Amino acid sequence: MSETTIVETGKRPEVASSSPGEWIRKNLFSNIPNTILTIVFGVFALYAIRGLLGFILSGERRWEAVATNMRLLMAQGYPANQFVRVWVALGCLMVLTGLSLAIWNAKGQLPIKKISNWTMNIGFGLMLFAVLAPISPSSRLGWVIAGVLFLTFGFGLWMSTKNNQNRTLDSIPTVWFSFGFLGTLVLSLWIVPFGHYAFTNGELVAETGRTVAMSTKLPFTVMWVLLVCSYCVIIRVRDYLPTGQAKALLVGLWFLSPFVLNWIVLRDPDFDYGHVISTDVPVAALFIFAGGGILYLLTKPSLGELGRLTAIALLIFGVFNWVAAFFGWYPMLQKVRISFVLLALAALIAPNFAADRRTRLKFVTGWGVLIVISHWLITAVNSPSTLELQGPTYLGGFSLTLFVAVLTLLLSFPLGVLLALGRTSSMPIARVLCTGYIESIRGVPLITILFFFSNILPLFLPQGMEIAELAAIVTGYTLFSAAYLAENVRGGLQSVMRGQYEAADAIGLTTSQRTGFIVLPQALRVSIPPLVGQAIGVFKETSLVAIIGAYDILRIANNVVPAQTEFLGVKREGLLLVSVIYFIVAFSMSKYSQRLEERVGLGER
Amino acid sequence: MSTDTEVQPSNYHHQKPPFYRDATVVKWLFQVGALALVVFALWFLSSQARDNLSARNISTGFDFLSIDPGINLSEGIDTRPATGGRALWVGMVNTIRLATAGIFFATVIGLFIGLARLSNNWVVNKLGSVFVETLRNIPLLVQILLYGAILANLGDLQFDSGWDNWVIWSNKGLSVPRVFIADGFYQWAVFMCIGALAARWMYNQRSGLHDKTGENTHPGLGSFAVLTIFGIVGWFIHPIFGWVGNIFGAISDGISKVPEEVLQLVLSAVAISIAANWIRGFLASRRTPGGSARLTDDDKFRIIFAGVGSVLAILVVFVVWPGLSSWIINSSSDLFEVLENKFGDGRTGGPFGVDRPEVVKPGKFEKYGPSGLTMSLGFAAVFFGIVLYTAAFIAEIVRGGILAVPKGQIEAANSLGMKRSTALRTVILPQALRVIMPPLGNQYLNLTKNTSLAIAVGFSDLVQVGQTVGNQTGKNLSVFAIWMLFYLACSLTISVAVNFFNVRLRIVER
Repeated sequence: MSETTIVETGKRPEVASSSPGEWIRKNLFSNIPNTILTIVFGVFALYAIRGLLGFILSGERRWEAVATNMRLLMAQGYPANQFVRVWVALGCLMVLTGLSLAIWNAKGQLPIKKISNWTMNIGFGLMLFAVLAPISPSSRLGWVIAGVLFLTFGFGLWMSTKNNQNRTLDSIPTVWFSFGFLGTLVLSLWIVPFGHYAFTNGELVAETGRTVAMSTKLPFTVMWVLLVCSYCVIIRVRDYLPTGQAKALLVGLWFLSPFVLNWIVLRDPDFDYGHVISTDVPVAALFIFAGGGILYLLTKPSLGELGRLTAIALLIFGVFNWVAAFFGWYPMLQKVRISFVLLALAALIAPNFAADRRTRLKFVTGWGVLIVISHWLITAVNSPSTLELQGPTYLGGFSLTLFVAVLTLLLSFPLGVLLALGRTSSMPIARVLCTGYIESIRGVPLITILFFFSNILPLFLPQGMEIAELAAIVTGYTLFSAAYLAENVRGGLQSVMRGQYEAADAIGLTTSQRTGFIVLPQALRVSIPPLVGQAIGVFKETSLVAIIGAYDILRIANNVVPAQTEFLGVKREGLLLVSVIYFIVAFSMSKYSQRLEERVGLGER
Repeated sequence: MSTDTEVQPSNYHHQKPPFYRDATVVKWLFQVGALALVVFALWFLSSQARDNLSARNISTGFDFLSIDPGINLSEGIDTRPATGGRALWVGMVNTIRLATAGIFFATVIGLFIGLARLSNNWVVNKLGSVFVETLRNIPLLVQILLYGAILANLGDLQFDSGWDNWVIWSNKGLSVPRVFIADGFYQWAVFMCIGALAARWMYNQRSGLHDKTGENTHPGLGSFAVLTIFGIVGWFIHPIFGWVGNIFGAISDGISKVPEEVLQLVLSAVAISIAANWIRGFLASRRTPGGSARLTDDDKFRIIFAGVGSVLAILVVFVVWPGLSSWIINSSSDLFEVLENKFGDGRTGGPFGVDRPEVVKPGKFEKYGPSGLTMSLGFAAVFFGIVLYTAAFIAEIVRGGILAVPKGQIEAANSLGMKRSTALRTVILPQALRVIMPPLGNQYLNLTKNTSLAIAVGFSDLVQVGQTVGNQTGKNLSVFAIWMLFYLACSLTISVAVNFFNVRLRIVER
């Protein structure tokens, strides 16, 4: 997909704007039933807004419970002395975002007219708030003044776009607008003292100077600077960079980031360097060089059938290692077993890279990188952590929610694609197995699957083998979400024309080449919108882990905060905050998917 | 690779690939391998489970269904169930109750919100959008907990809380008037059956007249009027149908006299004939113009599968579960006996009755009396959660379905001079329904599965009861099997119902 699809080529014809009076007549009071509807529902809406504001601003609400527990809600019991790791992880994501924005050269433009509309809407909203909210008259006046200011500013902007016919600036880049918006939010931390609350001798007092904003304003400023700087630097030198390779590198980094940030940055493994040098490095080197040599030989174009036979032999050996592990025939490092399977899989796809020396070396280099990263991560996971934990895990609160959602999505994607391929294949046994799996998983609620994996799975494991609670949850959730994902991908697969298969067969592609290079790219392109929809669903349903006892943001808001002696039974505030957080993420994802749908051009044909 | 093939293409054609490149061989090897892997994995896991269970002194099996689990349920048809099976049954009834009520209200609200989002009125339109965008982007579980927390903070139950005893709310739950089936209902139902026949006759009559003369004879209105008249008249004179009970009694006696073997033979014959019919239809559909059927491996597999299925059914009837046929005989005989008892003397009351909720004070604290329809706090939280959440999705489906009707259809209806309401009823909605129905069925399935979140607020649905019973008896595995079967059965029921409507709504092509 080149950039040409991203650039908005044509503008929509401008609708002749009608005067406000006309607009009101047309949309609100066009005839008698319409007028009645407007009045009835207008009164209802005002009443509902007033009720909601009354609920939020009522004196009984104890929002300080949320403000004081913000760290608990976001990153549960992460040790305070190492909290900088959380900021480092967030900073890495910011840098990646800035780099991606620059490399993909986001060219969206935001018309000034739209901004003026938004500003005026905010002004109206503030006025409405001032009128409806149950606040003191003096602060009411303040809100009215703020509303009037916004209104005048927006109106001025609007007039400037109208009068100035040969205008030079009728829109600004969306990226800069977003940076400005985020910058304002960060700036507000320095000015507005969010949450003046701290505990002194077990009593809640409004301390001056020590605020929630206090402890986070510096880190958040650093985050913002990282984001903007990484964008600015790269956008300057973008023209001198090999864009294609940079994009590939960035996609790889994004893919790696959840694993590296979680298991290396946040968990901080305490590597046993003696063991690393004596065992881990030699094993990895052996796989890189010996495995790389084998792969280099296997990609020789004149090799023919021998290559496939070797790959199959490797696969059988790789699987046999696991069977041997089950029966305990001979000891072997888990890492080595995994690496053998990876080698077999690489050998199976090797014939696709049988070309000139350059391509073969590229393939072998890719293998080396894969081994380095996978061995690094496996060693990190198996090393003890340096964190001093109170709870069972260092993840908690919103970070746990994010981690479970991202990991589930990443893991369930390949599994779902395989299931979809199995269900649409012409092989009867494979089809029956896949269909049975998909339908039975889709028939039961997620919560029963999660109960199964957290309560019953330990019964099925070999004696002495244990599975961490979080791992069991992610496993169950992955298996569940893969069945749904498979149905979405199947829809895409069914939309691929029969002629595409026949054309692929006609030019002599093998089945795997046909699937990988012809069918799947077309099928996945069609199923992008439903897949984004499913990603939203997975993110929302991550909240279910609260029921089986994981300390995600919902469980903390619903069970932990109301149990604190200072905030006994304060539940609604936390739950409202959780709703708002989920809403912001899910709503922006769904808006993005709508834009994506327009861009892919689905529904247009 | 070579010139040979170019010189003699026919040779190349006849070269057989080595066996490991033969598509058929590879395909079957792969499948057998996959099957073996799955079977091995299942065997391995189940053997591990057996070892682990025996090591922990836990026995599997379903004997806990007939043992007293010693638990109290928060609500349901039986709050102190005597056996595990009874407890799970209470949970199932609660789930079904919640799901049915939820489906009804979610559909109604969703329909209205969906239409509101299509309105030309700016206020109505925006209100609909805000409803949909807010509710579908907040996780259902968060919503349920939030509603639960809000309801739990309502005022204490007092004698004057609520709207003049029609609706009462408090932190003990919600109570609304109960409409119940009174004594005379079954006689009245017989009356209504006759009324329906008469209404159908009326409908045919009127539409026949319409076809002949072209006048608007209002067949729908006429038949509705007939049905209404029957309903009103039946309300007063329904006791004349008291004798219908005797017919049911006779049927019940007749069924109980049927010998078991006859039913077994009938069931096997039905299984065989279904399979044979299916195979015949399948062969007919695969017939080529030449006359003979061309079958792929896959087709043969399906035919064999159908045959094996019927043999399995017969095995079940005769060997695996020989009590099945006697169970069918007994239960259907019982059913008719129950119906017989519903008619009978002294049933002279009206078909329905209404009771207002009431507040009683048996001891120290007020509580709801039995007369109203009371929702406990847990039920209300889950109910509002699933209804509002699903309604938001249904609204989008309704809106999408109506927007999917091609513009030309509406223009054509207008150019024929149809009124807006007629066009909506006869042109737009029937076509929109065709688009709406399949995703709507999906939402019903989701709603049913989402009732399982009741465990978060302690409402005794199947999952919550199962979890309690499983923890009490250690039979989590058996409980999981029951969960799966129950939810699969629910899914199947809903998909069958939705498919039925889909088939009815399908465009009739030649």
